[in-house]
Amino acid sequence: MDGFCCGPGYSSPSEAIKAPREKILYTIAIYTGTGIQKPDYLATIDLDPESSTYSKVINRLEMPGIGDELHHMGWNACSSCHGDNKMSRGYLLVPGVRSNNIYVVDTATDPFSPSLYKTVDGAEIKSKTNLSGPHTVHCLGSEIIISFLGDAKGEAPGGYLHLNKDFEIVGRWENSMGDIPFSYDFWYQPRHNVMVSSEWAAPNTFMPGFDLEEVGHLKYGRRLHIWDFAKKKPVETMYLGEDGLVPLEVKFLHDPDSSHGFCGAALSSNVIHFWKSKEEKWEWEKIIDVDNEPHPDWPIPIPGVMSAILVSMDDKYLYINNWLHGDMRQYDISDPHKPVMTGQVWMGGLLGKAPVINGVNITGGPQMYQLSLDGKRMYVTTSLFSTWDNQFYPDMRTQGGAMLMIDCDVKNGGMKINKDFIIDFGKEPNGPSRCHESRYPGGDCTSDIWL
Amino acid sequence: MTKITIANRGNDFYKVKGNKPLLLELRSQGLDLPYGCQYGGCITCAAKLIEGEVDQRAQVALNNRQINDGYVILCVAHAKTDCTFEVGVESHDKLYRNPFIDPLAPHELKADIAIRKDANK
Repeated sequence: MDGFCCGPGYSSPSEAIKAPREKILYTIAIYTGTGIQKPDYLATIDLDPESSTYSKVINRLEMPGIGDELHHMGWNACSSCHGDNKMSRGYLLVPGVRSNNIYVVDTATDPFSPSLYKTVDGAEIKSKTNLSGPHTVHCLGSEIIISFLGDAKGEAPGGYLHLNKDFEIVGRWENSMGDIPFSYDFWYQPRHNVMVSSEWAAPNTFMPGFDLEEVGHLKYGRRLHIWDFAKKKPVETMYLGEDGLVPLEVKFLHDPDSSHGFCGAALSSNVIHFWKSKEEKWEWEKIIDVDNEPHPDWPIPIPGVMSAILVSMDDKYLYINNWLHGDMRQYDISDPHKPVMTGQVWMGGLLGKAPVINGVNITGGPQMYQLSLDGKRMYVTTSLFSTWDNQFYPDMRTQGGAMLMIDCDVKNGGMKINKDFIIDFGKEPNGPSRCHESRYPGGDCTSDIWL
Repeated sequence: MTKITIANRGNDFYKVKGNKPLLLELRSQGLDLPYGCQYGGCITCAAKLIEGEVDQRAQVALNNRQINDGYVILCVAHAKTDCTFEVGVESHDKLYRNPFIDPLAPHELKADIAIRKDANK
């Protein structure tokens, strides 16, 4: 409906950029780990500046029970099935990291007030596929795969759940995990027959919180894995070492012909750039290194904790966050080997540079973000994961999370916090909740892939 | 039957048989408790044991410092004697710590990587 053809998504990234401006946004909000005995929920945010409820939560879809820890989510269909008129982008798949349930939410019937369409039961996923700890959801054509970080007992490396278009469990997607020790995020680029996956840790390691010593005991990741996408098996490992401690989010450029991609190594707070050379060899290099910052109360300088990265739809800008420092940065990646910082804003963080934004106390730091398809508006949330929030930002229990908006200058570069937009999740009807990943109904910069 | 007293719920008490994990037993008797994974791998349901003895060998989430501070993973724990707990996030004062400011000693790590305190003596 939105593009040249009849299937979901857009015919190309340049068509996606021309899509109408986003009117609403979905974000998950959690009570798991906060002390409030209420279900996590999917919030609908009004993004229409002409609306009387602009910058407000206008709907809350509660999950059936407590304790899911909703986290990331993904669409049933994206531009990867643009040519398929039997498909449409009408369902959001929302996994619970702790419960193992996958909630399929119908966003098409009433986009402002989505409804729960189906639950893929966490216990059934365990019994049929021996997987737990769901994370990244991607559709590929009409099928859906979801990375899981552990087996049914929470031990690494986990694997990939394959669902069909009716959200039935097909089984494991991968033919082999090879010698991959950990799972986390993944992105694929079909024209190069490649998938790249990253490494967080086993659910039993990261779910209870972060013990720094476990990094030294090799219980956290430091590798990227190159997959033969068609054969569904890993074929090569890039060992990043100290430069790539806890490599989390992986993104290729949107241009389906490009082999260039990026990964944010959270604990090293580095951006790793990877690409296929003219000799058809996968290479990597560190292109951004965020220095640790001194803090009067800390015995060692604070790492940035780069927990997310995002590439604008035009492939011109790379965005990164430093959750503990409190800044978001924009880099011009026209030359992916030589990024140039073009913007920076501060919100919350432990360095005390921006404790209050638009009248709201910001607890936590910039964490997850979604960029409008035209690249001009970025929506940022502040919570990482309940147990990790409780360690680094204990006040989040009483203050809750927040959503802010950054105006991004796509022509000259630059970022500026918008003065008219703020959502204080500390003031939610059931008490302070914490917001994390966000998605637009029309597709977004972190979902759509072109075949 | 053992008697489970909840110190921070007005000393309410519950009689449990012990064949099911404490989380299930207490929730089925109407005590509203937090939980997450329900297999002992996350600390959402952690409670602090004030008095008594439990069997929580099935848990894989706590490090030794948290165990020494009395934390119990209710979703897999069974009471061996009458017990008194504090429950919910009010009991989590020592459960969470900033790992950079307050590191663990080698004997305080999780059981699979901990080094015994007297290992070098």
